[in-house]
Amino acid sequence: MSNYIVLVKQVPDISQISDNAFNPETGTLIRSKLANVINDLDAQALAFAHQMRALKKDESGKIIVLSMGPPMADEVLRYSLSRCADTAILLTDRLLGGADTVATANPLAFAIRKIVKEILNNSEDYYIITGMQSVDGDTAQVPAQIASELGISCIGYATHVAYEGGRFEFSSIITGGSQTVAARKMPIVITVAKYEHALFPQFALTRKANATQIITWGAADINATQIGLKGSRTQVTRVFPPEKTTRQCKQITNIAELAEIIRNTFKEKSEEEHTQSEKKAQYVLPERRVSTFDRSYDALDADCEAFALLERSLQTHGITNVAQITEELTETIAGELEQSMNRKQLDELLVALKIRTPKYSGDVWVAAECDEGEVILSTFELIGKARELADSLKVQVGVIIAGESVSTYGKALIAAGADKIYSIESPLLKDFDPITYEKVFSETVQTYKPQIVLYAATPQGRALAPMVSYNLGCGLTADCTSLDIKDRSKKGEIAVLLQTRPALGGNVMATICTVSSSVQMATARPGVMKRIAANENRIGEIIPCPANISKSDLSIEIIAKHKASGKVNFDVPVIVSGGKGLRCKQSFEQLLDELKASLHETLHIAVEEGATRAAVEQGFCERLRQIGQTGTAVAPQLYIALGISGAIQHMIGVANAGTIIAVNNDPSAPIFKQCDYYIVGNVEDIVPQLVEALAKEE
Amino acid sequence: MEQKNYNIVDVLIVGAGPAGLAAAATVKKKKPELNVCVIDKGHAAGNHNLSGAVLEQQALHEFLNYMDSHLLESEDAKTILTRTVAHDTISLFTQSSAIPLHALVSCANFFGFNIGAMLHKGDYIVSISQLTQWFAKIAASVGVEVLHGFSVEELVWDKITKTATGVKLIDQGWSKIGKKQQNFVPGEIIQAKYVILAEGVDGTVTRDLIQKAKLVREAESLFSIGVKELIQVTPEQYAKFTAQRVVHAMGYPVSDMFGGGIMYPYVENCIAVGMIVGLDWQEKDFNPQDALATFKEHKFVKQFIDGGTVVETGAKMIPEGGYRTIPRDAETNSIGCGNVAIVGDSAALVNMIKIKGLHNAIRSGMIAATAIANSEISSAFAKNYTKDLENSAVVQELKKAQNFRQTIARFGNVVGMPLSILGNLLPAYNVEADYKAMTQKTYKYKGKKEFDKAQFTALAHIEHREEQPSHLKILDAPTCIECAEKFGQPCITFCPAGVYEDIAGTLKAANASNCLHCKTCGRKCPYNNILWTVPEGGGGPQYKRM
Repeated sequence: MSNYIVLVKQVPDISQISDNAFNPETGTLIRSKLANVINDLDAQALAFAHQMRALKKDESGKIIVLSMGPPMADEVLRYSLSRCADTAILLTDRLLGGADTVATANPLAFAIRKIVKEILNNSEDYYIITGMQSVDGDTAQVPAQIASELGISCIGYATHVAYEGGRFEFSSIITGGSQTVAARKMPIVITVAKYEHALFPQFALTRKANATQIITWGAADINATQIGLKGSRTQVTRVFPPEKTTRQCKQITNIAELAEIIRNTFKEKSEEEHTQSEKKAQYVLPERRVSTFDRSYDALDADCEAFALLERSLQTHGITNVAQITEELTETIAGELEQSMNRKQLDELLVALKIRTPKYSGDVWVAAECDEGEVILSTFELIGKARELADSLKVQVGVIIAGESVSTYGKALIAAGADKIYSIESPLLKDFDPITYEKVFSETVQTYKPQIVLYAATPQGRALAPMVSYNLGCGLTADCTSLDIKDRSKKGEIAVLLQTRPALGGNVMATICTVSSSVQMATARPGVMKRIAANENRIGEIIPCPANISKSDLSIEIIAKHKASGKVNFDVPVIVSGGKGLRCKQSFEQLLDELKASLHETLHIAVEEGATRAAVEQGFCERLRQIGQTGTAVAPQLYIALGISGAIQHMIGVANAGTIIAVNNDPSAPIFKQCDYYIVGNVEDIVPQLVEALAKEE
Repeated sequence: MEQKNYNIVDVLIVGAGPAGLAAAATVKKKKPELNVCVIDKGHAAGNHNLSGAVLEQQALHEFLNYMDSHLLESEDAKTILTRTVAHDTISLFTQSSAIPLHALVSCANFFGFNIGAMLHKGDYIVSISQLTQWFAKIAASVGVEVLHGFSVEELVWDKITKTATGVKLIDQGWSKIGKKQQNFVPGEIIQAKYVILAEGVDGTVTRDLIQKAKLVREAESLFSIGVKELIQVTPEQYAKFTAQRVVHAMGYPVSDMFGGGIMYPYVENCIAVGMIVGLDWQEKDFNPQDALATFKEHKFVKQFIDGGTVVETGAKMIPEGGYRTIPRDAETNSIGCGNVAIVGDSAALVNMIKIKGLHNAIRSGMIAATAIANSEISSAFAKNYTKDLENSAVVQELKKAQNFRQTIARFGNVVGMPLSILGNLLPAYNVEADYKAMTQKTYKYKGKKEFDKAQFTALAHIEHREEQPSHLKILDAPTCIECAEKFGQPCITFCPAGVYEDIAGTLKAANASNCLHCKTCGRKCPYNNILWTVPEGGGGPQYKRM
């Protein structure tokens, strides 16, 4: 008899988000403005568990739902009970509040131990099933960290389950496709990435759920080791609204001009970013700064300004060294700066000035990922970023790579900017297995002690990073879009990694710092960091590292790998989308394919096809391509909308796109007021002309 | 422990609006031992409730005081019942002016003419959505089970005893093309001793009861549609409008129709601006939203809302037929049949001179509750309820207004309005169903102002599971082609959510998932060729402050 422990979370309903849900000054979400709902993927996880039980035809298997949150989170448990759950447990305690992912995973894991002991009679035959990530946190870390705490494996990004030959086979998303896997060992964590058939509430079960007293556990009931703010390994230092792009809504009448705009979108971007990175002053360590008192590399602008004032004041008094600052002088300066800061603030700054040593030491590492015998692009992007960070920290770039035979990649990795390659080779590492990889990565990191480890936020990276970081007791920030070295002088922290990431579905940005950890770890979104030009003459060192694992460590069996056909990857630089204006399936497919192929040839980048809800409704293409409020929200550099009217529900989904180009024959189409460039005309006429124009001037 | 059968209840109420919740709370208070359960197709309390709304105090106070004498001093009362009407602005709009009619109506009132009931002085100005949320809370507090997200497919009807044994919920989890999905659950059957139908206007279960129990109406049902926007304005504009005024404007831009514009003050510097139009309009290209847009451009209206932001939108039908359109059992005259009673808008208890029905909805709910509490025999429920209702203020006032709407339908505004002063001295005109009114005429102010339906739909926060079969049934496809030639398929124009589209020559409910549940299509298709059925529970608009 298998049992199913389903983890569910209550989240703000971000599908109902509007501008007035944010504090205009801080950019933070006013929680009370939004309804609370069950995290959508957790609802899917519940349905997944229900399906597993049905497939096994063993109705005696229990579905137990567990949630951690404030008392009102019992709503998501009643949601679960009204659909299929047998038992519901709420983990709630003020002591558990303010937790990051570590301090969330830890108590949940301890609660699971208690469930296993008290409800499942210590049976090992259970699955922990949960949504791949929550919409508010977006980190995807908690499930893998729970696995790490429990010392079990994790199958991430599951989309389908079958019961074959007495065991479950899961389809799960991997970089560039999917695979069919089965668990070698029980228990195991399954995270659900997409499962269409969320369950409906049932009348009788709903009444029963409302009449049920939910089991509530507090911190004292579970004896967790890392809880609340104290047990957290990361800290949010700043929350701010993302930059809003304003669209220029320029009409284009000449097709050649449009082709030029498309080409330039990518040219300009790279130049622009190039100059931007030049403009943005690279971090300089305190010991290398001209002035001893220079604190212009602090994380907060307000601090930089305060330090600058103090610096000027100290300079006018002829001070060159902290030791020269006397009590008397402090009094004088306090008087001079009275307008800008009080005495307490001044003292704080003076104390901060004494600290000049970086908080962390060691190299900057990148965790490499291989797919089908090749190192993935994201790894090279991360090396570019690591190079920049390491240069300003005056340390080296290390790349850690594991696989069956990976030292051959060393040369390319060094050319891309790495100094040292930590190569772990073993036939057992041929495929990614959370347990074996967690082991070898943890051990190597522990041996060489880097100060930063960066992972790609791919399905593999998002599983491995939380397991390794949890195992080593380090903080981890997921899906970063920006990584910078800065000082937090007032906290006594010099040269720390500021990790900035979007949260709440991209509605806010948060800057996060690692705390109480020996290594700072982050995953970064693919395509965000820029690789640097390969230099075949670079010199580096390959360091073979041991793989202390045995066959018994393997936790999953990969039954088959599937290529990516039929899957949609909207994480691409260009998306060509069609709406109902394309009239029929045939012209929809033909026009999109034609333009996609042409763009791919001209720009040499990945292009994906999307659709509006209306086009999907008409059967022009499959639902997984739907973009918008009820489909996927996308953020390509270039979005080309063909025959799309621009309904608000669709435009919400492309709000974060770089350049939007619209083609529509209706001059009053609302999309023309929400795009960068538009052409009024029939899509059937414009697309072939555009394809021709793109080909011509290459 | 004995497993409780949760599919059995004593009192089942379909529809968690003011009528249903008032009934539920009252019956539970009177008979705490009864299992009282209210089900609603909306996602949460108040989500499918839209009205102006002005609400007569008396009926509300009766209900609140019966439930708990402290409710009128509660925090909820303080937030929901803050505004009362001090000034009635009744105007006749022309394109460029607003002629005050207030003195005329006051005068009529003084002489005791029916039409004086148009005054609203002293009424509460409420958000019915919020009022409903409050009622749901009150009902829950006495032990009523209020369950949202459940749609009823039909009554389970016993032909022999002429009673309902319960209701069947709709199946959930059909795919668009009619295949059972993995999560398919067949509609559960809920057994109930008493059933109260409180579905609101043009209820689908009420329709089912009418058919199964062969209920009849003396006169044809009539409807209107109200489209409404909540507009956030500047504090100065709001102060100028005042929180104690309601505006009712006849004439431009719907001079030839029954209806007009409304403006009511809401909280947080919001003014509700709406357009109510009788469904018997004749113009094939008319859309009430166009009239609303034109109304908003009128200088009288514009001064209060110019530059404002629309924060919420919605649309809903109003049953306008009045007393003679109440569905009744042919033999017993019961409003309902056996153990099933119909209350509120489902029974068409709206007073069209007052343009108000909310007070009657609450009262009818309470009367139904009392009928349950007072009678041991469930099969006599509808009969007892009807007897009590006939003796109540509800029917008294409905009788006074019984010819009003039909008179105007028959004679038009110019003759009908003054004529209606004669009230019940007039013969009882029978008029045709709304859909038969459509002609080749076109709307005079068409295209004066483009209305953004997509924006309107987005701000009603509509959601439906996309993969379900369309709940909007086009009965006969060739009829649509005939309609295209004759009328240009008016449903495409008048549906406030833009649900209908002509796709490659075929009319389709292409955007059924945008449906606002206003049900206008089911009553205004000139060929009566659209059937509005209920979609899976939890879908539809999500009104918060309508």
